[in-house]
Amino acid sequence: MSRFMQRGAALAAVVLPSIAMAQASPGESTDYLIRGGTVITETGAKLPNTNILVHNGRITQMGANVTASAAKVIDATGKFVYPGMIDANTGIGLQEIGGVQTMSMRSEMGQFNPHIRALVGLNVESEILGVTRMNGVTSVITSPSGGSISGQATLINTAGWTWEDLAVQRNAGIVINLPGGGGGRGRGGGGGGRGGGGSSEATAAELQNFMQASQDYNTKRTAGVAKLDLVYEAMRPLFKKEVPAIIPANTEAQIKAAMDFADLYGLRVVIQGGAQAYKVRTLLAQKKVPVVLGSIQSAPGDDVPYDEIYAQPGLLNDAGVKFAFSTGNGSNARHVSFHAALAVAYGLAPDAALKALTIWPAEIFGADKDIGSIAQGKLANFFITTGDPLDLRTQVVDVFIKGRQVPDDDRHNRLYLKYKARPLPVVTP
Amino acid sequence: MQILTSSFRAILAAGSVALLPGALASQDIAIRNATLITITGGDIENGTIVVRNGKISAVGRNVNIPAGVRTIDGTGKFVMPGIIDAHSHAALENGINEGSESVTPEVQVQLKNDDPVIYRALAGGVTAANLLHGSANTIGGQSRVIKMRWGMPVDSMYFKGAFRIVKFALGENVTRASSTAPADERRFPMTRMGVDFTLRYWFTKAKEYDAEWTEYKTAAKSNPNAIPPRRDLRLEALTDILHGDLKVHAHSYRADEILMLIRAADELGFKIHTFQHVLEGYKVADEMAKHGAMASTFADMWAYKVEAWDAIPFNMALMSERGVVVSVNSDSDERIRRLYQEAGVGVRYGNMRVNEALKMITLNPAKQLGVDKMVGSLEVGKDGDIAIFSAHPFAPGAMAEYTIIDGKVYFDRNEAVTLRKTAAQTGGPGGAR
Repeated sequence: MSRFMQRGAALAAVVLPSIAMAQASPGESTDYLIRGGTVITETGAKLPNTNILVHNGRITQMGANVTASAAKVIDATGKFVYPGMIDANTGIGLQEIGGVQTMSMRSEMGQFNPHIRALVGLNVESEILGVTRMNGVTSVITSPSGGSISGQATLINTAGWTWEDLAVQRNAGIVINLPGGGGGRGRGGGGGGRGGGGSSEATAAELQNFMQASQDYNTKRTAGVAKLDLVYEAMRPLFKKEVPAIIPANTEAQIKAAMDFADLYGLRVVIQGGAQAYKVRTLLAQKKVPVVLGSIQSAPGDDVPYDEIYAQPGLLNDAGVKFAFSTGNGSNARHVSFHAALAVAYGLAPDAALKALTIWPAEIFGADKDIGSIAQGKLANFFITTGDPLDLRTQVVDVFIKGRQVPDDDRHNRLYLKYKARPLPVVTP
Repeated sequence: MQILTSSFRAILAAGSVALLPGALASQDIAIRNATLITITGGDIENGTIVVRNGKISAVGRNVNIPAGVRTIDGTGKFVMPGIIDAHSHAALENGINEGSESVTPEVQVQLKNDDPVIYRALAGGVTAANLLHGSANTIGGQSRVIKMRWGMPVDSMYFKGAFRIVKFALGENVTRASSTAPADERRFPMTRMGVDFTLRYWFTKAKEYDAEWTEYKTAAKSNPNAIPPRRDLRLEALTDILHGDLKVHAHSYRADEILMLIRAADELGFKIHTFQHVLEGYKVADEMAKHGAMASTFADMWAYKVEAWDAIPFNMALMSERGVVVSVNSDSDERIRRLYQEAGVGVRYGNMRVNEALKMITLNPAKQLGVDKMVGSLEVGKDGDIAIFSAHPFAPGAMAEYTIIDGKVYFDRNEAVTLRKTAAQTGGPGGAR
């Protein structure tokens, strides 16, 4: 991360800890002109020498001749401007150190929790947000887990002052774990903690009862003949198809069961995990059911080809299934582009890999009017690099989220700069 | 590219020797017109490498391939030394921890040869690995360095000439910090202070034991009836550590504990050969370099427990800058499949030079396992342990296509895909789609 070295070294010499979020005086936001860079669209097309004007958090103009005298100029000549990447399933903000139970807040008590909201539980000062954004991941889905209906996932930016400021799509979908469903995949790794994956303990009959009661409530409520019930009320956006049901499912049978469940109750569904989604790819494409892939940095089961998990994104794309990548946990969300690189090696077209990191997750969660590509009117969520972000040799040199240049004061960079500058030890006897 | 279901069993069923019948019979092979990443002699474009009788016989641009030697066209491909993992627990039989006591250097890990992880590591370009004892003990058991000779009997997998290595451990795993058992049911040591004392206690005993044997051997020269001390396999192993015959690989996270172990070793008269994990090595890299210790770390694992809270992906770059020989390891049946990606993280974070980053999965782990005279670079005379990638290993699109050990092809991507199709067509194991 060369900016962090160049800028960081200068900052370290002055005063490291007190980096202001905005460059303007209190209360004002800064306009930026990103000048001379090659802008990459969500289709992978390269627009050379394209200026981007950022005002009030959004992209207001783009083009070779765009200029603005009052804007702060960021010279991107010879560099590339990519749309901010999205990790479509994490626990960021709800968990911090995996092994510390008091820092793990992803799973609420009880079985049916559609009323539980991830957004309001977020820790805005999570150190994981900082290290995540510095590799160009500007938005993530944070989802609750556990129980039969875990709660409302949220789509957030990875920089912001409050949880309201972080929010892109407050309610991005309701996580529903089917009995015998595909919860609990997802890597141990960092930030796992309690309830890393959903696995329902409620029986099929209990879930059926709850769904039917929710449907009845929805009908009565629409007719104006039911009293407000906070639990059932939270189910209504599902029936109105305002938000999807996010259903963990990995095997062919689990995925089909998830689709049947959605059909039965008239829900929009997003398959989460989808380890063997390629086996039902034709059906998924036909029914336009999208998939949020679980971590493809996973060890396969003994009975499957060694490259199955790397190769399936390519197969899904060939079949016309819309999908997104995810890391499944918090601490390694910044590596989501390296997941995509593995998929490219085993057959995924590079332009599709970029879409699956940007515009597709934005579309899946209904946020494509705000994020997912670099376009006039969208939030200014992008990052500047020396090359392809899927290439490990590429350096990320600048990150913008909601029109703000994010400071390089994340936990890892702070420790890096501190110890890079450590003088040789002087040992006293 | 096509996935056909469950070919793995099919490959097992087809018999590992059938993987590539021609190549297994011979230890001669050549790759022509490839980019050769030699590690020690720069990258050679349009280069050719020849292996005869299992050893590299020629590397360069103008190299003749002897008649009859199987030749792989390397056009567009990248050839690098076989990847070496300095920390794995693959293929271990019946547990990895002898956790009954906190000092067990007399035990050694036991292997099985049918763990699919070996095959899958080969499919990621890995040719050798250090299979370590677990981290439950202050002084754990001895490891086994192997070449990934898939399908061979266990004793044919051992990497002859490698160091004897013993596992030490510091931190939460040794003190069992996450244990919920009441204190009176737990094992000593349960604090960092206790770990420090355990080291002092046992090495003090070992030095006494060593002195008894030295005294006996001296006496035996003039007195054939001299009585030898009672043999103690635990103390004997500790004595081997004192003499440098058994190399210490120490599981460690925090800088304070790393420094504690260095100072204990300095005082007690032995060396820490390689720190494993060493997540906060960047904080005490100067002290490590001065002691002569090397480092084998994760690329980027943090926040999974308290002692991993200060882990940073810049660790590899910072330790390297201070003169520590750094490798990046897997410690995982998943990461061992894509160690080339893990090494590349050192470029992304800290801007390591590409060749220095590649050393972290080749020459540097070879040094840590004592096999750098045999493997770790593409040089004439070294073993024919080679990985062929479809693109630069740090590029998107990098996929291992062939993995070769001692000149024999142990993984061939095309062969694997063909076997799957055959299994599917014949309705063989897992053939039904």
